[in-house]
Amino acid sequence: MTQDVEMKEQQVPEAPSNSVSSTTPVLQHLKEIAALIETGAYAREVRRILRAVRLTIALRRKLKASIISSFLNVALAPGSEAHTRLSSYLPKDDENDMEVDTASSATQTTVKHSPELEIYCYLLVLIFLIDQKKYSEAKSCSSASITRLKNLNRRTVDVLASRLYFYYSLSYELTGDLSEIRGNLLSLHRVATLRHDELGQETLLNLLLRNYLHYNLYDQAEKLRSKAPRFEAHSNQQFCRYLFYLGKIRTIQLEYTDAKESLLQAARKAPVAALGFRVQCNKWAVIVRLLLGEIPERTVFMQKGMEKALRPYFELTNAVRIGDLELFKNVAEKFATTFSSDRTNNLIVRLRHNVIRTGLRNISISYSRISLADVAKKLRLDSPNPIADAESIVSKAIRDGAIDATLDHVNGWMVSKETGDIYSTNEPQLAFNSRIAFCLNMHNEAVRALRFPPNSHKEKESAEKRRERQQQEQELAKHIAEEDDDDF
Amino acid sequence: MDPKLTEVSQLFERFKAALVRNDFDTCSKLLSQLKILLIEFKSLPPLFEETPNAVQELTIARDIYEHAVVLSVKMEDQDAFERDFFQLKPYYTDVGSRLTQSPQEYPILGLNLLRLLVQNRIAEFHTELELLSANALENTCIKHAVELEQSFMEGAYNRVLTARQTVPHETYVYFMDLLARTVRDEIAGCSEKAYDSLTVKDAREMLLISSDQELFDYIKEEHPEWEVKNGLVVFQKAKESAPCKEIPSLQLINQTLSYARELERIV
Repeated sequence: MTQDVEMKEQQVPEAPSNSVSSTTPVLQHLKEIAALIETGAYAREVRRILRAVRLTIALRRKLKASIISSFLNVALAPGSEAHTRLSSYLPKDDENDMEVDTASSATQTTVKHSPELEIYCYLLVLIFLIDQKKYSEAKSCSSASITRLKNLNRRTVDVLASRLYFYYSLSYELTGDLSEIRGNLLSLHRVATLRHDELGQETLLNLLLRNYLHYNLYDQAEKLRSKAPRFEAHSNQQFCRYLFYLGKIRTIQLEYTDAKESLLQAARKAPVAALGFRVQCNKWAVIVRLLLGEIPERTVFMQKGMEKALRPYFELTNAVRIGDLELFKNVAEKFATTFSSDRTNNLIVRLRHNVIRTGLRNISISYSRISLADVAKKLRLDSPNPIADAESIVSKAIRDGAIDATLDHVNGWMVSKETGDIYSTNEPQLAFNSRIAFCLNMHNEAVRALRFPPNSHKEKESAEKRRERQQQEQELAKHIAEEDDDDF
Repeated sequence: MDPKLTEVSQLFERFKAALVRNDFDTCSKLLSQLKILLIEFKSLPPLFEETPNAVQELTIARDIYEHAVVLSVKMEDQDAFERDFFQLKPYYTDVGSRLTQSPQEYPILGLNLLRLLVQNRIAEFHTELELLSANALENTCIKHAVELEQSFMEGAYNRVLTARQTVPHETYVYFMDLLARTVRDEIAGCSEKAYDSLTVKDAREMLLISSDQELFDYIKEEHPEWEVKNGLVVFQKAKESAPCKEIPSLQLINQTLSYARELERIV
């Protein structure tokens, strides 16, 4: 819940600036978007349609039933199948503003609408229904749109289709029937693969992973993920999501190093506005790092807007850092509800072992010789035979290289070894090498991530265009934020 | 009653009787007959058709596979266990809501966890664990396996061994014995690193071996590098990370060259 509140606080300052700029009525905007889609469909320019979707998201909060129904009258031929079906989802209000209706009938009625526009109308109605929390209507609307989509094979529809897939899954998730559509999503994914619709594949793969992970079906998710075709990511948001799901799967399967990499990358790549998503990524990343025996820096927990959500994880980290089993248990109990709603409970249980290790390391650093009875007391092992437990725990830690010590069974004590001069080994060189490799890799990835719009080298951006582009970027960021708001 | 269903249930009765007698040959023969008969039921996975007898058919199929799992444990056949368990699983996960819960469900799930632990398939162990509800985790059979895994990871091996006395179900004993063997190897591996030497008596106690002779045989077979002299078992310490005398020149050259190449690309 806290995440929601914070999301709204963040968005408040942005909203007014947007409404000031758009003085024209919403309907006019929608018509412009429709024109954009028509030209996009005609010229086969996917970019225009992408832009239309973005503009729609900006209008999202201002949509009303009356506006949408009059837009439908303009966009779709009244009496056509799509028109009647879509209108039936919209609630009829009595105070239907007459002037809007007459205005629309006065304007030209498109005789033949493109399939893109029809799909767009589905998308618009669906977004509206979800925003109005009319989930059962949203479900039937999305199902109808998916049936319609299956018969369309046009590259210009792909962008709209991938958005529809997302809302289709979302509407089922909101009513808790995610398992119903799994078969459908799988067949859609297959179709998208056959049609080389990479954006659709990307979106559907993520939706499927989300679907599986919703029911904790990590095995199936991993099998699908490893077999699905891979390609260069088309959409940054989808790639972020993919990385997050991948990180989760790897965490469960104990591949912590890889998991950490994906989770941190997801958190880094996610746009600043997508706070809810970043919080989730950070929660998982913190646990994975703890499981790896690392202690996350304090700054991780102090990121803007995240302090409250990460608080339980902060205290957990503290307990692990000190190596106090008692404190760890208390924290785990205190925040049990948070952890179980984050579904990290089982991971927290795994951490117990790390707490003991850290405690042991602290002891081994502070004492050159200590009896096993004292070790057991310091670690607060509550078991019927603490000394024997301590002995075997210490011996395992020695074997795993966590501490450098030897045991003396006859006298029952642990003798720590002098720490040798690390600079006389190859160790520093290896560490240095891995850091250099990391930096170089980072640079290469940054270069690869640069994108240039087509023809950018021919015409210089005018001031007007730049403003427009900046506005678009802002909208995009906001749009991603909203989506992630839906997600969590 | 459907004639096919009657046939299956009669055969199943014979199978159960044979299982009680521990007559494994008859059991496996009957089981393969049963499995062939089950194929004809359309209500079973993977078709899940809604037939009038669906619930009865599902229940008896679940019963049969549960017994098959128990049989595989008695026959100490781990591969058969895995096969039968995977055939059984859909009955718990996919149609679990339509049937009354089987009393055998948790013991069998726990047994599977234990098997994964014995086979050291920890990743799969955790994947299975994620599928269990908070309720299931409270069950003694499941808890037993979960706690074992924890003790195992921590290194509290004697806790693993004492858990053998508190098995929640008689079928668990077989896997617990296997686990004891794994634990012995683990302890041997740890002791080797942790101690300089142990008296023969201590080593015997630690490795849970009853006589000196068995200990010597074990050492000869598993760890020929250990030495036994003056009533002491002396471990050969692994080579310490000795100060580096030689410069790994080839590796360094390679690294430096790759830096140069990367830097050239940047400039």
